[in-house]
Amino acid sequence: GDNISLGSKLLPGMLFFLCLKPRIPYGKKYNKKWLLTALQNKCSVPFKPVHVLVLMNPCPPPSILNTELKPQDTAWLKQCMAKRFDSSQRTLDLNQLRSDPDLVSQNVCPILSRKIFMDAVVKIIEENIPELVHLNLSNNKLYQLDSLADLITSAPHLKALNLSHNQLKTEKVLDRLKGLKLVDLWLEHNPLCDQFKDQPSYISAVRERFPQLVKLDGYDLPLPIVFDVVATSTIPPCKGSYFGSEEIMFLILHFLQQYFSVYDSGDRQPLLNAYHDGATFSLSQPSSQSLSRCLLREYHKDSRNLKHLKDPSTRFRLLKHTRLNVVALLNKLPKTQHDIASFNIDVNTHTSMLLSFTVSGVFKEVEGAFQDGVRAFSRVFIAVPAGNSGLCIVNDQLFVRIATMEEICSAFATPAPTPSSSLVPALSTPKQEMLSTFSLKSGMNLEWSQKCLQDNNWDFNIAAQIFTQLKVTNLECIFRL
Amino acid sequence: DSTGKGLLDFRSHVDASCRYSEEFTNIYYDCMDKKRRTLTRLYLDKATLVWNGNAVSGQAALGEFFESLPSSEFSVQTLDCQPVHELATQGQTTLLVVTAGQVKFDGHKQRYFNQNFLLTAQASPTSDQPVWKIASDCFRFQDWSS
Repeated sequence: GDNISLGSKLLPGMLFFLCLKPRIPYGKKYNKKWLLTALQNKCSVPFKPVHVLVLMNPCPPPSILNTELKPQDTAWLKQCMAKRFDSSQRTLDLNQLRSDPDLVSQNVCPILSRKIFMDAVVKIIEENIPELVHLNLSNNKLYQLDSLADLITSAPHLKALNLSHNQLKTEKVLDRLKGLKLVDLWLEHNPLCDQFKDQPSYISAVRERFPQLVKLDGYDLPLPIVFDVVATSTIPPCKGSYFGSEEIMFLILHFLQQYFSVYDSGDRQPLLNAYHDGATFSLSQPSSQSLSRCLLREYHKDSRNLKHLKDPSTRFRLLKHTRLNVVALLNKLPKTQHDIASFNIDVNTHTSMLLSFTVSGVFKEVEGAFQDGVRAFSRVFIAVPAGNSGLCIVNDQLFVRIATMEEICSAFATPAPTPSSSLVPALSTPKQEMLSTFSLKSGMNLEWSQKCLQDNNWDFNIAAQIFTQLKVTNLECIFRL
Repeated sequence: DSTGKGLLDFRSHVDASCRYSEEFTNIYYDCMDKKRRTLTRLYLDKATLVWNGNAVSGQAALGEFFESLPSSEFSVQTLDCQPVHELATQGQTTLLVVTAGQVKFDGHKQRYFNQNFLLTAQASPTSDQPVWKIASDCFRFQDWSS
């Protein structure tokens, strides 16, 4: 609309460069020919265009459209949005906002495709209705979604978004909204929809940005194919005892030898020394099998299985508390002979205060109706360091069951003098002699004696020293491992 | 501790321990069977597991380990629990929970198992009941050597 006026110094035939920067609104839309014709019509001096170069500068919109959002406009916008907000459904319908009669009547022209307006809308949502769940922005000539990105944080409950009938050109615009946990999305009638070769690629592109989407353009989406980690069918190989360290191993083995030699002696009273004053003990057995109930009936009345036992008083009664009560019960249980060689030991945990380990193995009943019956057990000990004997039991839980055929066959299999064949193919005679001597002197069984000797390169003196040292060492040191 | 009040405290401690252990084992085995990926949330950051003699410790290693196990179907048949003596725990309330039963791992035959946990109580921000986390876990098949 600017007038072009030139001075009167122009002479015919002059070649000159005319540089104009007319602010032509929506200049991009008009073709060159039309522009020239219009210019020529406006120009008081006729000219013949020789070369026309139309340079498109991104220039700011003309002043009539460059309104700053005035406070009163914001207020009208807010009021309009309030009217369009359904609080029961938490829905905000801003479809074709530009033609809203209230706003039009107030001369507010909310062109949502303009950052100023969209930012204002998002701010109003953030400040007034952050609980928004459904938002309809259809028919607003939107070509980008930059301002909407703020909704990710300002409207965290937003689940449904209608962007249909807009000007969104490529799927990339959706990247701005990644993070919105949309379940329902409308995108139809946007140029971007025509960019996909088929429906599945369209759906997949949208789902990439909104993985929780369930409805697109009003249609229920097929359930996504979720690739769960394919479960492997192998379980890790099972290993024997786990001690964590050699010192702990010796400590425990030493303790168990002493403990079970008393336990199997016929009088368990001396075990009082092994327990702390406030120790607790309980036992359990598999109660479902009738054979088990029959063979283990001596244990049955003291068995504490919380799966079957519900009465709180009985539950309390069957937990033996204080070492006197603990040992009193232990003394009533059937007399046993444990196969220490069969023991498997897992050290659950050790700290400076606590050593917890699980012993499993077999024992024989040595008298009564089931003499020579083989039983299997799993026993958890929790101990604290103690001066002389090394360990002081604070918790003791015993699980007893009947042994399997395999266990019965391999139980008590190795007679005392020869080393168990599982350890070593063949020991030379000198080594065998050393082993017997070491076992006798240390009081450890052959298997553990062999381990001690092997670990010290079959040097009897060193192995013996280490073993003796461990016995007398302040055991609190060991606990600090 | 032989004072009347002490005994009452011990009694209520035992009662509560039984309830906690029942609740915990329900959650644990349900998670193990149906929501394996969330299982490590029940463990302390520095928790240790000894599984048939294999030692695993720390959240990352535990996560990998449980992911590597085939899907499972646990049937707990025996449950027992004891409060752990405070001497061993530096005042941190701890429970010993002992279970036994059967488990079938996908692709393997059903086997009997024994398991025990040391659970420590952690204060919960949202309730006055403590949140129990596993400090140590020891698991073994009864027939592990076969």
